[in-house]
Amino acid sequence: MNCEEAKLDLPEYLSHSLNEARELEFASHIAGCEACRSETERLGALWKGLALLPGTMPSPGVEVRERFYESLTAYKHGMASAKPAWRDRLAAFWPAVAFAALAMGVGIGYMARPAGLAPNSGPEVAQLRGEVNSMRQMVALSLMQQQSAGERLRGVSWAYRAEPSDTEVLSALLTTVNNDASVNVRMAAVDALHAFGASPVTRTAIVQSISKQTSPLVQIALIDLLVDLKATEAAPDLRKLIADQSIDSSVRERANWALGRLVQ
Amino acid sequence: MNVNATDNALMAAVSAGEVQKLAVLFERHHRGLFRYFVSMNRNREASEDLVQDVFFRMLRYRASYDAKQSFTAWMYQIARNASVDQAQKRRGEVIGIEEFADRRADAAPGPEASAAQTQDLKLLRQALDRLPPDKREILVLSRFQGMKHEELARVLDCEVGTVKVRVYRAMRALEQAYSALIGEKTA
Repeated sequence: MNCEEAKLDLPEYLSHSLNEARELEFASHIAGCEACRSETERLGALWKGLALLPGTMPSPGVEVRERFYESLTAYKHGMASAKPAWRDRLAAFWPAVAFAALAMGVGIGYMARPAGLAPNSGPEVAQLRGEVNSMRQMVALSLMQQQSAGERLRGVSWAYRAEPSDTEVLSALLTTVNNDASVNVRMAAVDALHAFGASPVTRTAIVQSISKQTSPLVQIALIDLLVDLKATEAAPDLRKLIADQSIDSSVRERANWALGRLVQ
Repeated sequence: MNVNATDNALMAAVSAGEVQKLAVLFERHHRGLFRYFVSMNRNREASEDLVQDVFFRMLRYRASYDAKQSFTAWMYQIARNASVDQAQKRRGEVIGIEEFADRRADAAPGPEASAAQTQDLKLLRQALDRLPPDKREILVLSRFQGMKHEELARVLDCEVGTVKVRVYRAMRALEQAYSALIGEKTA
């Protein structure tokens, strides 16, 4: 490798994207060439600095996200209403098709109705509602996997828009409560579990989570949630908690209070 | 639902009519796109509009997406076109570059940037801003967005060999601009 070739390989060397043989050639070259070694060090420092610049840049405003989801929902509405309009045009330009449709009875006529006459309980509205729920679920699940705690908090807030029967969102919330590195995110996820409280799975998971938690704040939030949900079946576990001396005293006090509320 | 699906698979699903999956791509990429636009036009409001525009165009042109090609390269091709169209529309308008520069100077450094680095990064940011747009763009795409040379070649519509030359020259230009700024500071 000569100096000219080394210069062209330099950015890929810095980003570790040369193949092994080429990287070895590059390393051998700069070991014996002072000028190229010096340039690699100088440009390497700038290369590292460039990677840090995005962290110093502003983020897009929250309204960008709101505008996007409004637009996406509007687009989906447009897709849903476009189908009957297509059928109308077909009927207008092809009378034989319209006649055949009429002859085949009310069922097919119902399918061919104009969008403006569609009742709210129609299958297309139900389908649209299902798609919106699916979108909310996906946003919540996606955000809850982000590296940034702020984004995961947003994911938890999206979980409020999910259906209480949505087991995937429930599972993601429970994972967040048990494993998230941020206490704030765990606390927010505990609050979001309230909507899923009717499920026995949720109530059992809340009880099991208390002993797994390292933060007394989260443990107390979980105990409060059991009281809110009137989870009387948790009484035996609360008694064990109260008796366990390894648990933080403020948590045991709260468990004692909760027990009094649940078994009164 | 698989939220770990690749970008290509998600966009292929959007292309096939599952438009709600665009939400995942939006969450993954809107910040990167915003930083790309901000680096190029130095205007927050215009950059936010452009982010919206890119995702609109993805919906509009979803049928043209080829799942065998890199999604990132396709997205940044759309981004570049959107940027050119907006620049034509706004020709003659005064863009608030100074206002944005003030906000940026106040921006808090990320957790990985120590206080000692902040001043150096500010100078590096200024040096990047001083580069001609084509040099700034190739560094932003390769370093901020982590694009490989093959993807850059697709986005910039040139050969991989040309990309190598352009990235190297852009790095040298950045070094010169950075040295000049340090010289101005110590003079």
